[in-house]
Amino acid sequence: MAVENNNVKQSLSVAGGHSSIIMSIFSTSSGNGKTITAINLAASLAKEGYDVCLMDLDLQFGDVVDYLKLSPKYTIAEAQKDFETDPEEFDVRNYLTEYTHDDLHFSVMAPPKSIDDAYQIDVTVVEKMIQQLVDFDFIILDLQAVFSALNLAMLDISAIINYVGIIDFLPSVKNFKVGYDTLIRFEYEANKIRLIENRSNSQKLIKGDDVERLIGEKFSHKLPNDFQSVNKSVNSGVPLMFAAPNSPLTKSFAELAESYSQHQDNAPPPEEVVVQPDKSIFSKVMGMLGW
Amino acid sequence: MQYRAILVEKDKSVLNDLANTLKQAKDFEVLSTYNNFNAALGQSSIYNPNLFLIDIDNVEVFKILPNFVEVFPNAVILGTLSVWNADLAYKAQKAGITGCIIKPFTPQEIIDTIKLYGKRGKSKPSRIITFFSPKGRSGRTTLAALLALDLAKKSNESVALIDADLQFGDLPIFFDLEPKHTVVDAAHDIKLLTPTAFAPYFHEVTKNLYLLSSPDRPEYAELVEAPNLVEVVRMAGHIFRYLLIDLPSGFNPISLAVSDFASTNFTVAMINTGLEVAHMKRTLDLFKARRGHMHIDYPVFTRVNPCNDEQKQKLESQIMQPITAIFPNEYNLVSIANSGRILYGLPQDTLMMKTISKLADDIIAGKL
Repeated sequence: MAVENNNVKQSLSVAGGHSSIIMSIFSTSSGNGKTITAINLAASLAKEGYDVCLMDLDLQFGDVVDYLKLSPKYTIAEAQKDFETDPEEFDVRNYLTEYTHDDLHFSVMAPPKSIDDAYQIDVTVVEKMIQQLVDFDFIILDLQAVFSALNLAMLDISAIINYVGIIDFLPSVKNFKVGYDTLIRFEYEANKIRLIENRSNSQKLIKGDDVERLIGEKFSHKLPNDFQSVNKSVNSGVPLMFAAPNSPLTKSFAELAESYSQHQDNAPPPEEVVVQPDKSIFSKVMGMLGW
Repeated sequence: MQYRAILVEKDKSVLNDLANTLKQAKDFEVLSTYNNFNAALGQSSIYNPNLFLIDIDNVEVFKILPNFVEVFPNAVILGTLSVWNADLAYKAQKAGITGCIIKPFTPQEIIDTIKLYGKRGKSKPSRIITFFSPKGRSGRTTLAALLALDLAKKSNESVALIDADLQFGDLPIFFDLEPKHTVVDAAHDIKLLTPTAFAPYFHEVTKNLYLLSSPDRPEYAELVEAPNLVEVVRMAGHIFRYLLIDLPSGFNPISLAVSDFASTNFTVAMINTGLEVAHMKRTLDLFKARRGHMHIDYPVFTRVNPCNDEQKQKLESQIMQPITAIFPNEYNLVSIANSGRILYGLPQDTLMMKTISKLADDIIAGKL
């Protein structure tokens, strides 16, 4: 345990019976800033002194490794193969890649190198890997922008769903609302879903307030637009706190991280989520249709 | 219109039934009936027919079918099938006949079928073009919609947009529509449909352009199986000359099955942080490995800045193959396209529209 005051951990760690705080980053379209959010949230929490593991579960086109210019020895694909060969001996920690810059460090589970391998990843094995990641204070899951069996399983075990959107044009608004309504229909508690507006102050025709009225929920966090700093961060392969320490976006990520750590002491703990035995999207759909 | 029909049918009792039905219809005159293809081809010219109904249940007919097309260029030639068979129907289309109809049929069904294929355009197989993107927010749907509009305008043949982005399809919003039928209904019903029964599932957007909409709830996507969607595409090819299909982002059973089936695929990526170039390369490598030579994948980059030849060459050297088109960031145009006003005056005099126009010309000319 890296931080002495572990109230947060006690209050937020009950989801899925896991001792770490699992937070997913989800959206209804890629290119919404999920990976930027995941990396900078992980970095900000790590800077606060927490042990953080960032899992890139955008298995086909995950960008965490390229963003941070990592050269992982192993990916989730090798982890799965070895788990299936010898589940008793399997230790997921051996497959993580360490990201370090100055005195900041956090662990990364890299996505498969080939798309064929991405196709083979098994939801239940990923769940078992996460169950082994008990040493971490926070586990951040960077998800693909789709309702899939893997994503639903990950949302199920998450204490917090960071639901990120860029609200610039009508299709984005529609997809943001459709995605949110779907999460609610799938019975994720509203207080577990945190609406995050990305590029909140950029040139656009649609106002955040209107979107809040449409959805019936407030954004819990707004990330300002700073394309240049993001580009600098990606190009230099370091989180925003190093690439653009004074950017309002960097500060915003620090605030977001804080909202999940020490400032959460008085927040009510989320209800315990019991992992359902069958979490396939198909069973949910059938349930919706009354079958 | 008075139809002067020749019936060609292997099965004599079916031939009798069909002939009797048509003899009682006021718009039809049965000139002659045959149960031998060669005799029908050799003798029919003396009757001056304008309609052939030819049994295509037996594959032997396909050897002689192109001859009917050649000898009777002004006649409507319908292939008759006992049940819908996409393979046989495609072969018939390739042979150049007007279209296909399911036996038994009423005189009205013949008239409806002729009308349907008349609207479709040239008696040739359809051009099936898919739009794939590794990730969302790539400009993929905007490209598909703008290209479909331009094709409908220029080709004077019928064009359909199929929104196969089943969870988060945006095409209904682009055209400000709330269609009654969706691609989910189509995939569910397809085994029971015929081209004439399927046509009303498409919503008329503007002259020559139709839309098969995506569902309004993401979970309904799960009800669509990829092979059924491919059958939807195959039958739609009998209603429309051009099919433009907007796929879901990334590799999944739907995007793979449909883009494998299409002859042409545009892979679209938007330049944002620069990591997209690697996504494009990864995608093209995978497509190259899994597809045959008959299939062509065209890479397209959007929001390229500066949008010039030098930048294009730079991107080409990165992905190690030619790029079909690059598009600039045109905020005003994209704003219009993304707010349901796509039908009401797009700024034509822009680099983006000129590039779209060139793509449409090349598709019509068969260069793409």
